[in-house]
Amino acid sequence: MLNSFRGVWGANIQLQQIRCAHRIRGKAPIFCRTIKERLDELNYKDEIYTTKIDIGLPQMNKLSESSRRSRLDHLKKIKADKNLEQLARNHTLEIDLDEAKKEWLNTLGPQHKKQIADHYGIFEHLYGEGYFIPYLNLEVLYDLKNGSYLPVYTGNDIKPAEALEYPIVNYESDPDSLWTLALTSLDGHLTEGDKEYVHWLVANIPGNSIEKGDTIVEYLQPIPLKGTGYHRYAYVLYKQDGNITYDVTKVTAKSPLEDRTFVTRDWYQKYQDNITPAGLAFFQTNWDLSVRDFFHNVLDTKEPVYEYDFPKPYLRPQEWFPRRKAFNLYMDKYRDPKQINKEYLLRKLKDEDPFKAPPPPLKFPNAQPFPKNMPSWLRLHEKKIRLGWGRVNDV
Amino acid sequence: MNNIKRVLTAPSLSRLSSTAPAEFINRNPRNLEKIRIARKPDGYHLEAAGRKFWHKLVLTASNRTVTAQVVHFVNGPVIEAKTSEWALRKQLYSIKDTCAYINLGKVFAQRCLESGITEMYCNIKPVEGGKVDRFIKEVVNGGVKLEEPEVYKKPNPWDLHRPEKPWEVAEE
Repeated sequence: MLNSFRGVWGANIQLQQIRCAHRIRGKAPIFCRTIKERLDELNYKDEIYTTKIDIGLPQMNKLSESSRRSRLDHLKKIKADKNLEQLARNHTLEIDLDEAKKEWLNTLGPQHKKQIADHYGIFEHLYGEGYFIPYLNLEVLYDLKNGSYLPVYTGNDIKPAEALEYPIVNYESDPDSLWTLALTSLDGHLTEGDKEYVHWLVANIPGNSIEKGDTIVEYLQPIPLKGTGYHRYAYVLYKQDGNITYDVTKVTAKSPLEDRTFVTRDWYQKYQDNITPAGLAFFQTNWDLSVRDFFHNVLDTKEPVYEYDFPKPYLRPQEWFPRRKAFNLYMDKYRDPKQINKEYLLRKLKDEDPFKAPPPPLKFPNAQPFPKNMPSWLRLHEKKIRLGWGRVNDV
Repeated sequence: MNNIKRVLTAPSLSRLSSTAPAEFINRNPRNLEKIRIARKPDGYHLEAAGRKFWHKLVLTASNRTVTAQVVHFVNGPVIEAKTSEWALRKQLYSIKDTCAYINLGKVFAQRCLESGITEMYCNIKPVEGGKVDRFIKEVVNGGVKLEEPEVYKKPNPWDLHRPEKPWEVAEE
């Protein structure tokens, strides 16, 4: 599915949306479909593509009859509590947020996590049509070295410099059960857009002691490239039903990036009889200096830098006799921008002397007289340069 | 209005490295919204205001419960907190009074921060000192900004000014 989408994307030319005139186009509003109807029709996908499959564990602690009764008893007790009532009437009743969070994790938390993970497209890019509800709470804490810890929740921002070393991972488990933990970057692959890099893969973890597991892929800090925005990094905890040897090549911290190429969907498909996803935590991260250090010191290469490719501004076809247009501004729109910038640069460098201090900026640039015989278009041009308006900023 | 698929990808041009590919695609569906270049649905100018957002705070009070939601313009509700859910109800005396609103605000702000959605549009005009006002104050105190930044518009070469690029301001 993704491949075809990518192909379509490549063939499409992104055009700037313009509106040429304010007139009603198409049918009158009472007869035409609403924009919502039209969008729904455009975005319609067949059931084959939208049906999702639950690949996770079944719900562990369903609400039993006894706990339902104990809840009712608890509510009755609260209503009878005179002290609590007084607090509520004085608007000073403050709930314990930690306890509320703990209850939330045991009740609605997993569903809410799934909802927000869908919003971030986590399951779509990890498993395609698969999804799971993370019933097991996966706690991931980055040590900030100043006594505080930075947790990974569901999409919070973490800088790469804060995640240089592998985090503390915690979850509830039997000491004899076996687990696999994987950290993958969903957006970070340099060459193939629909693949991932595996940043950490630990298998056969007995209970929740990560150190005792077999580290197949050593931890690598997040590497969101400069100019590419926010990347998602997802921790997924899998429950194993026995000892597993993964057919994945061992990767150390010094290995090249290509060795970390990974497709969670294919990997999961291969081992789906033995592993089941149970816990999820993910964060977003964007560029900082530690990424540059990584490219320079570890990979020993130049750091790739990107820029967002904006659509080209719309220009109507050039005319022989444009009406009511300043000729110089009109012609400049159709010239090579590089050539124009070069002219501005040459002009700037003409008066510059490398051995002298630059002259102080004019205090009242508009008060400087122009020669009497200067045409008005040139005056405006000069004025714009003096004031730093327009194309002079591009140099 | 945009087809969401278009907004998701960010083809970019490489400048310095010769070994890295010229084009890089970021699949993160929230990326362009975070760096402020995704499109916002404008709606028509005759329509009621309140549709121009990526994320919006919606507070609904029913007869039995109060619900706070973050609604995305395409994906619908993405974060939710209710006073009737057991996590809150367990400690509240009433699930409709001012205290319920205050505590709902705290819990809601916490969930928003944990989910990385720290800025959202809000067009609720509360009565000064009322329940809703207390709720909104708690949300703001919790670290959520109740306005969304404007979309960054790339200046054309003939434009007067060159506004700073939002994604380059915080760097370095």
